[in-house]
Amino acid sequence: MTNIYFRRLLTGQALGSVIGVSAMLVLFTFIDFNGWWNTNSLANVLQFSAILGLLSMGLALVIIAREIDLSVGSVYGLAGVSFVTLEPVLGVPMSFVAALALAALIGLLQGLAVVRLKLPSMIVTLGGLFSVRGVIYVWTGGTVSTFSADARTHWLTQVFGGHFLGLPAVIWWTVLVAVLLSVMLLLTHFGNHLLATGGQQDSAESRGVRTDHVKLATFVLCSMLAGLSGIITLCDNPQTHVTLGELMELEAIAAAVIGGCLLTGGRGSLIGALLGTFIVVSVRYELIALGAPSSWYMTFVGAVLIAAVIFNQYLANKVNRSL
Amino acid sequence: MSNHPLIQVKNIDLHFGSFHALKNVSVDFHAGELVGLVGDNGAGKTTLIRVLCGIHTPSAGEVYFDGQRVTQFHPSLAINQGIETIQQSVGLCDNLSIARNFYLGREPVKRIMGIPFLDFKTMRKTSTEVIREFGLRDNVSTDDEVGRLSGGERQSVKIGRAVEFKNRVVIMDEPTNHLSVREREHVNELAVQLKQQGLLVIYITHDIFQVHKLADRIVIMENGEKVEDAKTSEMTADALEEVIRQGGRQVEKRAA
Repeated sequence: MTNIYFRRLLTGQALGSVIGVSAMLVLFTFIDFNGWWNTNSLANVLQFSAILGLLSMGLALVIIAREIDLSVGSVYGLAGVSFVTLEPVLGVPMSFVAALALAALIGLLQGLAVVRLKLPSMIVTLGGLFSVRGVIYVWTGGTVSTFSADARTHWLTQVFGGHFLGLPAVIWWTVLVAVLLSVMLLLTHFGNHLLATGGQQDSAESRGVRTDHVKLATFVLCSMLAGLSGIITLCDNPQTHVTLGELMELEAIAAAVIGGCLLTGGRGSLIGALLGTFIVVSVRYELIALGAPSSWYMTFVGAVLIAAVIFNQYLANKVNRSL
Repeated sequence: MSNHPLIQVKNIDLHFGSFHALKNVSVDFHAGELVGLVGDNGAGKTTLIRVLCGIHTPSAGEVYFDGQRVTQFHPSLAINQGIETIQQSVGLCDNLSIARNFYLGREPVKRIMGIPFLDFKTMRKTSTEVIREFGLRDNVSTDDEVGRLSGGERQSVKIGRAVEFKNRVVIMDEPTNHLSVREREHVNELAVQLKQQGLLVIYITHDIFQVHKLADRIVIMENGEKVEDAKTSEMTADALEEVIRQGGRQVEKRAA
């Protein structure tokens, strides 16, 4: 199994991002050795990569299914807000479940609109982006909520928001999710159906694959990952604000695409999405560390995105072996 | 040949919006029979078999499979009943390996701690045997993506897949397009072999002369209607070609 996965990593869609990450690390080593290679920087970058990475992996799955989900930033925000604001009523464990269920419900509704009503996911989830953000404004009334001292020290809050083996817990959770999802994508029949659905939907259907079920499951999964990310973020720093998660959908899409997910469907990997996320977050961190004006960050991410797409397209044409 | 047909199509109609794709079509298909389905582009051949393999639901009429009325049309139901279709443009996903395509929709699984994982060993072993038997180059591995294969090789994978899974009906939609002369003969031999094993083979083509040599019966479609249904022992290829050339006018003549 490991052998198969390793080969997939080297020959498949993650290759571009492996090269990208290597090049970036070499560059940062030369221009800012001390600033980059210290535990503080790395822990910071890894923590933000892990948070954004959950969203990117969800998007990777949706993009592999040849759809898109623009609502993840808003779902991230709503899950976080509902987790914190429902806690006084439901307690930490139940509000955790409720927030995650809410995220799943949003994914389900959007997925149903795409597969049952045959609407383009770009439009459906753009609607989701706005309407879910609107719900956040209505829900909070623009006010800021925080956890009580009890909720902050609750074991569940600590399991997701605390530290484990010296690293923020979110890093471990993201690694765990990445492993589970990669196994699902590459080694189970659901994964095979997902790749087939994104690759050639009519061929998949002619083999009896329920592409509608596959897509529905993917939208739910993507939303839940965004929700989980929002919840974990607030476990670490339990303060809500109405802009929570804004623009994260675009960063997550950029990360997935940099990581080798082709918007034409059927190609992409979760490890690639994570590495793409690492690139996006690192570039932002390093630009700030080097004192560049923050406005340059957008320009750089844009440049990296375009370069990555060109490079990944080139690689996809070269490499045509899969499992 | 048994008396009761394996597939019975009774007075089916199919509309796509205002387009009347199938008009009151009735045909019987028996097990152990090779039926040639012939007609020009847009005659309704492909539409008819898309009903049989569950892609389209007829607007009116009935379809019986093995004596049972078919009430739900879905490709997965057709596949589960043992109806395998080899189509011109669909059936393979270019982004997946041969092995993954081979088993798409019916993947063998191996349970590890109760979790069903794909059984890659079986997938590779069986699909390798089959593609070698069907003459794929030795340097092609079942781990290669299908997008890399030539037209003939792609067809071989689809036919190999149809043979490998014990099916009752194999529908071949223009199976020899894009094939070399030798590959074409191989495919045709295979069609006859399938029939001899007691399967129903429906062979769709433009080429009446090619299929006349293989088939027991020829059904000709024109403008969504069945215009001829004759045993090859009773009608020559030339006579059948004349029917096609007339574009179904013969039917009107008979009706009058």
